[in-house]
Amino acid sequence: MTAEHAASVEQPKKRVKHEGPKKHIIAYVFSLILTILAFATVITGDVSVNFVYVMLVLMAGVQVFIQMAFWMHMKDRGHLFPIIGILSGVTVVFTMIIMAVYWAWW
Amino acid sequence: MSGHSHADGVLPHEPEKATLEGRNKVLGFWLFLGGETVLFGTLFSAFIALRDQVNGGPTAHELFSLTVVAIATLVLLTSSLTSVFAIQAMHRNKPKEMVNWLVVTILLGLVFLGLEIFEFVEYAHEGHTFAASAFSTSFYSLVGFHGGHVAFGVLWISLLIWQVLRRGLTVVTAPKIYIAGMYWHFIDVVWVFIFTVVYLMGKVG
Amino acid sequence: MAHGSHAVKRYTGIMDWLTTVDHKKIGILYLLAGGFFFLIGGLEAIMIRIQLWKPLNDFVSPDTFNELITMHGTTMIFLAVMPVIFGLMNAVVPLQIGARDVAFPFLNALGFWTFFFGGVLLNVSWFAGGAPDAGWTSYVPLASKTFNDGPGVDYYVLGLQISGIGSLLGGINFLATVINMRAPGMSFMRLPMFTWASFVTSMLILLAFPALTVGLVALMFDRIFEGNFFDPSAGGNIMLWEHIFWIFGHPEVYILILPAFGVISEVVTTFSRKRLFGYSSMVFATVLIGFLGFMVWAHHMFTSGLGPVANALFSIATMLIAVPTGIKVFNWLFTLWGGSIKFTAPLLFAIGFIPTFVMGGVTGVMLAAAPADYQYHDSYFVVAHFHYTIVGGLVSGLFAGVHYWWPKIFGRQLNETLGKTTFWFFIIGFHLTFLIQHFLGLLGMPRRIFTYLDGLGFNEMNLISTIGAMLMGVGVICFVINIIVTSAKPKHATNDPWEDGRTLEWAIASPAPEYNFAQLPLIRGYDAYWKEKREGNKEMQPAEPLGPIHMPSPSILPFIMSVGLFIAGLGFIFHQYVVSGIGLAITLICMFLRSVIEDHGYHIEPDEIHAKGV
Repeated sequence: MTAEHAASVEQPKKRVKHEGPKKHIIAYVFSLILTILAFATVITGDVSVNFVYVMLVLMAGVQVFIQMAFWMHMKDRGHLFPIIGILSGVTVVFTMIIMAVYWAWW
Repeated sequence: MSGHSHADGVLPHEPEKATLEGRNKVLGFWLFLGGETVLFGTLFSAFIALRDQVNGGPTAHELFSLTVVAIATLVLLTSSLTSVFAIQAMHRNKPKEMVNWLVVTILLGLVFLGLEIFEFVEYAHEGHTFAASAFSTSFYSLVGFHGGHVAFGVLWISLLIWQVLRRGLTVVTAPKIYIAGMYWHFIDVVWVFIFTVVYLMGKVG
Repeated sequence: MAHGSHAVKRYTGIMDWLTTVDHKKIGILYLLAGGFFFLIGGLEAIMIRIQLWKPLNDFVSPDTFNELITMHGTTMIFLAVMPVIFGLMNAVVPLQIGARDVAFPFLNALGFWTFFFGGVLLNVSWFAGGAPDAGWTSYVPLASKTFNDGPGVDYYVLGLQISGIGSLLGGINFLATVINMRAPGMSFMRLPMFTWASFVTSMLILLAFPALTVGLVALMFDRIFEGNFFDPSAGGNIMLWEHIFWIFGHPEVYILILPAFGVISEVVTTFSRKRLFGYSSMVFATVLIGFLGFMVWAHHMFTSGLGPVANALFSIATMLIAVPTGIKVFNWLFTLWGGSIKFTAPLLFAIGFIPTFVMGGVTGVMLAAAPADYQYHDSYFVVAHFHYTIVGGLVSGLFAGVHYWWPKIFGRQLNETLGKTTFWFFIIGFHLTFLIQHFLGLLGMPRRIFTYLDGLGFNEMNLISTIGAMLMGVGVICFVINIIVTSAKPKHATNDPWEDGRTLEWAIASPAPEYNFAQLPLIRGYDAYWKEKREGNKEMQPAEPLGPIHMPSPSILPFIMSVGLFIAGLGFIFHQYVVSGIGLAITLICMFLRSVIEDHGYHIEPDEIHAKGV
């Protein structure tokens, strides 16, 4: 809300190199593989329940990390506060989930 | 305020961050997503606590059709990719290409919603209604809330497409598109947890 | 006043207040509305104390008593102190960081109006169906349809849900403001303590309110749409409510107290004429309290059957919070020690705060011992504890802040004599009311009871407590008189009326001009204004040349959106879903209009800016 807004709009003097779609397609493929693996683990049904749970949670975690780092640019610079915001939300949720799991299953 | 910035016809690289308002919107939306994380986390916690309380009705193992869920997952995942392509087109100042990718995104979103409605109707026929048990109430609350978010996203992105078609891609419309893209990724991330915790773990038992 | 290339909407009178997006006016609205609800909550408290002054009294019926305690708690927490906190944050934080407004002025207005209409909805209950009566914590199954099928609890659910939206928006707003809009040179470790406290509080709001949202939705689903979250007969679980409520509820009390801690830091430093002792440790302690606040919620549930392992963990975590709190108390004391103390009304409230809050804190540590809590739980000991922290603590802090920043907000200084009179009546009345309640609790008087039998040893103590409440009421009346008397005086406050201002807000006129700073200031250290004063400068150094200042346009949409939500709430409460649909449609249409109508605000030109005072 100041006169500084005019100065803050960048005027590119040279062509800026834009990132291509390759990284994102790779992220997509990884997510797809993880999803298929997760479904396969359940459908084959040969392994113990606890092992399956752990595997599923791990795969979900990896997929979420990939999606957030690449598609939501969290790995790029200038994202300190977004990371703080999301991580604190995750910490609170983590505490709640531990309590819910402890309560429901012990 | 936006008038000055593209008077020379050149849209800045990363137009969503070119103004203070844009940067505020992007940061504010990240913070909002932190809050949404807790919101869905609470719904998940409630679901985890109540998932075995079927009150004589069908259990998750008996009920869930993994085929529909797998297709829905694929659809939503792909729509998240297409939304990335839309933002990339925006950064390369190609509004028409951006709009095309956004249209694909919301079409896929509509397919997802259609599959979910079909799925819910099936379950209702098998006795799994909202009021049937604690499990069913928490299931429909969690998965329904997510579906509601998808529906809102579809409406929102449609509105933004209309705005871009009318006013073009500017430093005012760009942040709106960017945060809609963030929103869309977020609901895909939530879906990863839903298909894992609700459907896959439910099927395992 | 301003002119630009497009027609500028400027309103006057009532429309100015209904459409404002200016943080300074919104701050005043919050203070007025919060003050109004504080009086209502106070009246409810007086009625409670009158009912309890003697055994087997029949001043009110048992049902009305339940409504009174529920509404007293709910009103005071959500509709009185939280808005006053938001009012101070709005009035002060942008000025302290050298910004011209908050990050989202429109959302700021929306936050106020949703809070306001949520509060109105909650209080409409008194006249239309009965107020909620299941306590401010609304435990199930008492709050479930089976045992409570009037509309009271539905008012609670919908009223708080709507108000809660306002709080969440406010939290996001202040986080983004502090992160993105600090003046050049204002690094995080140069922020004034009130801004730090507001920042951490906003983080807590962001993370705690969504849990309440889910809890209220779940209760609404159960009560209105035959859900089964909390219905044991269908597999639901009563304890789930307690967990969800307290996951929100415990951080909520830290949301309440952290801003007061910020106020105390400001007031103590200004009136000791001395730099805050241990700034970095204060910041660290604030963040730690915020974090630990999320780890202790089950200490409200020690007697609910969680088991010894859970009880032990939560017990220890709770006691840990005393450590950073203690750090803060010692830092305030060390700031006062050796300072050149000026006993003004704000400082009296701050000095009253410190021992009172410590007393509340130590009874908190007593309650944190889970085995002991089996005796204290649901007795007046708990009531005494939380009133010591919230009233003796938070409310004293708010009185200090309101007296301190009144000239900056309104351009007039409150009368010192009346201020000191308010203080003495309030603090003496407070201790009389609540000190004795510790002993009532230890004697076995349960809480939330509408009367008690003769011969139990409770009579004299209850009488004393009621007399104390009357004295507190006198103090509050003194404060109201002070406000009235002061508003009759002309606006003569200078930019630095306390003469020892250290932080940035004291560098500009009182009240602040529409645009806050003619030129954004350059910050050269902590206690930015003090630093300039020490170097002989009367004003801050500017960080930019004089230029046109962009201001956001006013809008009636926040007001209308909140009315829409109010209508929707009434629709749900009375099961008239068409009405709900209309209300929600109004809100959604306003959201659509907001997205689609591009309004770029207006400019204030340099020739309109007063040259003196940055």
